[in-house]
Amino acid sequence: MSNKITTNSRNVYLVGNPNSGKTSLFNAITGERHRVGNWPGVTVQKIEGITDTANGRLIINDLPGTYSLTPATPEEEIVLKTLDEAATGIIINVVDIANFERNLFLTTQLVELGVNPVVSLNCFDSFTQAGGSIDLQKFSSFTGTTPFPTVARRGEGVSSMIDYLSRPESLTIECCNNMLALPDLWKKAAEDVLACQGLKWASATPVQRYNALRELISLKPLESDIKVQEIRRQLATQLSQGREKPVKVIDLACELASDRYRRIEKLIAACATIPGKSIPAWQEKLDAVLTHRFLGLPIFALMMAWVFWTTFSLGEIPMGWMESLVEMAGNFVKANVQEGLLQELLADGVISGVGGVLVFIPNILILFFWIAILEDSGYMSRAAFIMDRMMNSIGLHGRAFIPMIMGLGCNVPAVLATRIIDNRFQRLLTMLLIPLVTCAARLPVLVLLCGTFFPENPSIWMFSLFFVNLLVLIFLGHMTSFLFKSVENSPFLLEMPPYRLPTAASVWHMLYEKAMHFVEKAGTVILAGAIVIWVLSVFPREVPLSFNYEAELAALKAQAVTAETTEQIAALTHKRDIEQMEGRYMARIGKLMHPVMAPLGFSWRETVSLIPGFLAKESVVSTLTVLYLPYDEDLGKGMRKTGMNKLSAFVFMLFTLLYIPCIATLGVVWRESGSTKFTALSLLVYFVIAYLVSFAALKIGEALQASNGTAAEAVTIVLVGIFAGWYLLRTLLNTFIGRQCNSCAGCSGCPSKNSDCHG
Amino acid sequence: MVRTTYSLADLPEGSTGTIRDIDALSPTARRLLDMGFVPGTPIKAIKRAPMGDPTTYEIRGYQVGLRRTESALIDVEIKPDVK
Repeated sequence: MSNKITTNSRNVYLVGNPNSGKTSLFNAITGERHRVGNWPGVTVQKIEGITDTANGRLIINDLPGTYSLTPATPEEEIVLKTLDEAATGIIINVVDIANFERNLFLTTQLVELGVNPVVSLNCFDSFTQAGGSIDLQKFSSFTGTTPFPTVARRGEGVSSMIDYLSRPESLTIECCNNMLALPDLWKKAAEDVLACQGLKWASATPVQRYNALRELISLKPLESDIKVQEIRRQLATQLSQGREKPVKVIDLACELASDRYRRIEKLIAACATIPGKSIPAWQEKLDAVLTHRFLGLPIFALMMAWVFWTTFSLGEIPMGWMESLVEMAGNFVKANVQEGLLQELLADGVISGVGGVLVFIPNILILFFWIAILEDSGYMSRAAFIMDRMMNSIGLHGRAFIPMIMGLGCNVPAVLATRIIDNRFQRLLTMLLIPLVTCAARLPVLVLLCGTFFPENPSIWMFSLFFVNLLVLIFLGHMTSFLFKSVENSPFLLEMPPYRLPTAASVWHMLYEKAMHFVEKAGTVILAGAIVIWVLSVFPREVPLSFNYEAELAALKAQAVTAETTEQIAALTHKRDIEQMEGRYMARIGKLMHPVMAPLGFSWRETVSLIPGFLAKESVVSTLTVLYLPYDEDLGKGMRKTGMNKLSAFVFMLFTLLYIPCIATLGVVWRESGSTKFTALSLLVYFVIAYLVSFAALKIGEALQASNGTAAEAVTIVLVGIFAGWYLLRTLLNTFIGRQCNSCAGCSGCPSKNSDCHG
Repeated sequence: MVRTTYSLADLPEGSTGTIRDIDALSPTARRLLDMGFVPGTPIKAIKRAPMGDPTTYEIRGYQVGLRRTESALIDVEIKPDVK
């Protein structure tokens, strides 16, 4: 969709609180389906839609949901940045009338700046059902806006609004005594601030007016210039008149917000009757059970177990179909295409690559079916409420729990599920941590590696690997939230939307969009990656061989078949395969990288095997098996023969576990984050962490092995061990006991001390 | 009349208070102000999460969950006998 303005087109901008039904209204107007959810923050980017009417075209822009024009996140900043542009078109302010006061705050801000929006009074049905009523005529003349009662979820009231929007006549309303307008004292002060910049209120744009107001209530008054300081002082003095307590300059922000809410209260009193109780009793009862102190967690755990089981266990059935379909296609190509490069490219590159994409579809569909239901019903916010404490202990938002736990099944749908986190920083942080969650596909690799290297007691080594992995995960979470604390200070506000029955249409469109989005966006990246790895592993086609194997093999094959010749043929074939493999680009890159990896005790063979591991970690094992064939049929024995000991094997496993997420995960991270920089940076972070952790493990291990190690070394090792254990324990303790009681200790006068604490 | 001032974080579950003051220096407080947490507004602590944090509050007809770090910015007062 382009921004092309045809002769008869109008730009329409949708602004409103999160969860006000803005996206539903967007869908109802444009007919183009987008994500409709029942939790705050569905819209994360600017989305455009077009609707054609008899009088011309309407271009609808869906702006991110925000509670206020004053931005708290980069997403909300978009609204302010677009405001001037939007003021030249039509602004639709979506107001959830069931939550009237808070929703009118944004309307008040708009009206103050001279913008007269069309107001969609949404959720009008639940408002009237609860006994509310509003005089639209009065509302319109008291605010200078054009109100339309709507029920966006069902598309009610939308057609008359579209009709109004497309009408050619002027859309402004004359309003002599606007109840939401800025009081004279404030307007005078804002005019004075504008005058300092050589601007006039009447000719200033809405954003310039907004900035003038922002100057007045700025948090850092010392930074603004002297004149503005003086204006602020005057304003505070004027506001203090007739009050017991004088208004301080620093309280101006509070004054302005209070004043706005006073105007809103007056307006509502003048034109509407608000139902006494906005939350129905059955909802309160449901809430009491679902967020119950003892029942809340088990209920949530059961739900998660169900979602997990259906996604990954039930999902295996259609995955099996997908796999056999891919296999059939591969066989078909092998049977019908002439043997050669093209056949290999089609069968091993393209079809297996496509299969590698399609195989995720069942998981994604099932997971998002449940996510859509959890979201639309309103339970997702309760789940976030229950889990927030635990997730917060590693710097994450409560909503991050579902993506993280899904990561245990597969990182790909888990990364896609980060969409449920509305805050961009939190979403990226979760995306950064998910690849450190050991997915189900990594498990068999670990089992295989541990079984190969430590046939005596693989489980204890597995356990220690998981332990280190968990430590790294927690540490990275702590580090990032610590490092970016100053950058990221958006408040934690978890709105509890009312429970609603999910609509089939909304669930269906979420599934459709998810699957299409995944295939289109991430699918192409995954496919490209698969083909690149394939090319690296089969090119150059002709590798200069040290020996004419083919001639020798042919000669051997010509001889009578004896045990001796069969053995010779096998040995020669092995030798040839290895030499060919060493000549391919992949091995060359591996050898080039070897000096970097050498400090970790890896030979070039391990380094090479890490490259296909990028595609899928199980390829690490298969590549190693081929590379170690000349030493022994058995990989473990072969590795031992070339000097790999238990320690280097453990370090290698650790590195394999941590160094890189698989290409499919990387593809979705790239697409979902929308940032190449973030993806590249996170790759670097994983690599550096894997390197450092492996190096530390190697050094500690070496020191442990040297029985004649000095006392200092032994002490260091013990200390590191204790520290690691303490770190983990502390995080867990913080989660479950935490500072809950410290705060009670701080308020000695708490009358409910006994009932409220230690509960 | 005897009144008691609490931090919102310490408002016991189920009790209603009136917002008295909000930390003007915190950027977070700005957002809370915009959401209707202005002095004089009644607010009810609905429920603490099973792990003790966050807590849901009811204000101006809607429910919102706040962590301790946010709710500690707000002072509320309640009449002890109303509790």
